[in-house]
Amino acid sequence: MVTAISSLKRPFLALPFLLPSLSECAAFEFRRNQSSYRRTKQRLRVKPDASFGPSLNQFEDHIIYNPPSSTPSIYHTPTKFLPPDDIRRSLSTDASKNQDNTDGLPTVFKKPAEKKYHLTPSDIEEIRRLRLNDPMTWSRWKLAKRFDCSPMFIGMVCEASPEKKEIQKQVLEAVQSRWGRKRRMAREDRQLRKENWGRD
Amino acid sequence: MKRLQLLRWSSSALSPGFRTGSRLQRNVYAGLRHQSSASPALQAENESVTEEQPPGQPIRKLSPEEQRLHLPSPPIKAARESAKLAALHGRLYLPSRLPLETLARTLVDPSADPNPNFNNESLAILGHDLMTYYTSEHLLCTYPRLPLTVVFAAMFAYVGPKTLAAMTREWGVEYAAAPGGEVDPGLLQFKRMAPGTNLNTDTAISTTRPNPDRKSWRHSLSSRIVYDDEFGDITTESNTAVRGATPDQASASFVRAVMGAIYLHAGRPAAKRFFEQHFLSRHLNITELFNFSQPARDLSRLCAREDFEPPVARIISETGRKSRHPVFVVGIFSGKDKLGEGAGGSLMEARSKAAVAALKGWYLYSPLEVRVPSSTEENGAAPWKPVHVDLGEVIV
Repeated sequence: MVTAISSLKRPFLALPFLLPSLSECAAFEFRRNQSSYRRTKQRLRVKPDASFGPSLNQFEDHIIYNPPSSTPSIYHTPTKFLPPDDIRRSLSTDASKNQDNTDGLPTVFKKPAEKKYHLTPSDIEEIRRLRLNDPMTWSRWKLAKRFDCSPMFIGMVCEASPEKKEIQKQVLEAVQSRWGRKRRMAREDRQLRKENWGRD
Repeated sequence: MKRLQLLRWSSSALSPGFRTGSRLQRNVYAGLRHQSSASPALQAENESVTEEQPPGQPIRKLSPEEQRLHLPSPPIKAARESAKLAALHGRLYLPSRLPLETLARTLVDPSADPNPNFNNESLAILGHDLMTYYTSEHLLCTYPRLPLTVVFAAMFAYVGPKTLAAMTREWGVEYAAAPGGEVDPGLLQFKRMAPGTNLNTDTAISTTRPNPDRKSWRHSLSSRIVYDDEFGDITTESNTAVRGATPDQASASFVRAVMGAIYLHAGRPAAKRFFEQHFLSRHLNITELFNFSQPARDLSRLCAREDFEPPVARIISETGRKSRHPVFVVGIFSGKDKLGEGAGGSLMEARSKAAVAALKGWYLYSPLEVRVPSSTEENGAAPWKPVHVDLGEVIV
């Protein structure tokens, strides 16, 4: 008697298998899935490209070599890299040699850097003097703009004074101190991924 | 009726000079000498005398089994009785001219038996020289443009101690718990290093390198060629006789000694065949040994050195530039020729990978017919034709 009362006291929702509507819902869902699966399969059943099948007008007796696109093998040395006495230089089948539309391809950088060699030794002395005397005004970018060269060249020619380096280090630390956990981890991960580029 | 003691006869048939260098054997005879007047040469007669003596006599003779207990490594005649040794000989398909006794000797590390007549030290030195010679000539003739750091890494991968230890396990050679005369000679015998021993205290062998005590100084690549060993590491000498050896050290010296033993007993062609079958047949992916820090800069330096047009990175194809996962395929062109191609999630990544591919294409050039200098040692070999020698790696 006591057990019957307790079972009646239990909430009805705790026993979901007693609800008839839920099982119906599940069956409904299942049917929907099946129909959409069939429809998807029908849509994917496309006619293959004409080049895949045998052509009807002429009899072909050869092997169709149609490999999937992938990175070229490292072991296929480009023709330009072969030594002059190598017999493979005379082969004309190399894909790396004399590509037709090379000039039509866009470059990665906007304009290919052209070296001008226009700075004289006196200009370089001037660059060094400016950067050493007033490093806050004459940054690498400003010097590069004034002397019409790249900031990398400024870095090759002269070095910042130790005081400027110290200031820059403090600025960087101040910026990094405001980073949260996520940003810091993302930056570190990016650095690690960058190191893997050369390992590949 | 008195039983025949064949074992004793066989031990007495061994001449005392058979193990000339064994100090322990000499100690046994020395112990005999001050207890009785019998000389070792008269041991056979002496034995029959002691047989008839009643027990309780102060003279105590060591049985062959007890003598074995006092030896540092198994005696030579035990090699013929070991099933493990015969199985190893058959499994490795060793030439029949290599006797089981020598194979047993290759399994005795200098830390187990310090006597150079019974350990594998001399064979290991010979085998090590042969293996490193064959490996280096194979690498240099197959890939004449490899940078030296990659050559060092490839040498270490082919015949380094870790590889040799792995080969020992693959060959099914087990380690003896402790060395001794009673141990099965088919087990690798070495004195184990005590746990917790500092491995970095190996003393450097005195080389001609100036300032050898300066550990923190940078060792340039050129100085590593001149002064250091074939893997580009500082040649060290660990005092294995006192401290014991690690399993890796003992396994490495075993494999080297097998190589040396094959060379001594079966000759050069057999040693070379063994090397090709067991070492060169192991797959090493040399493309994975490279690590470039600035590949684009290196490639432009290379093109300037070789008088090619300066390399230009061009986008061959791309997809999803404004999406979360774009893919760019970038090729590096010198004039009209494509040097390398790479794909990546950003333009810089694709360009860097293309530069890496181009540099690997340069460094991994391999001639069509590869012939090594040691192939001219055979009878009736064609005269040597010089192989391709490259200018060397790109130095920025």
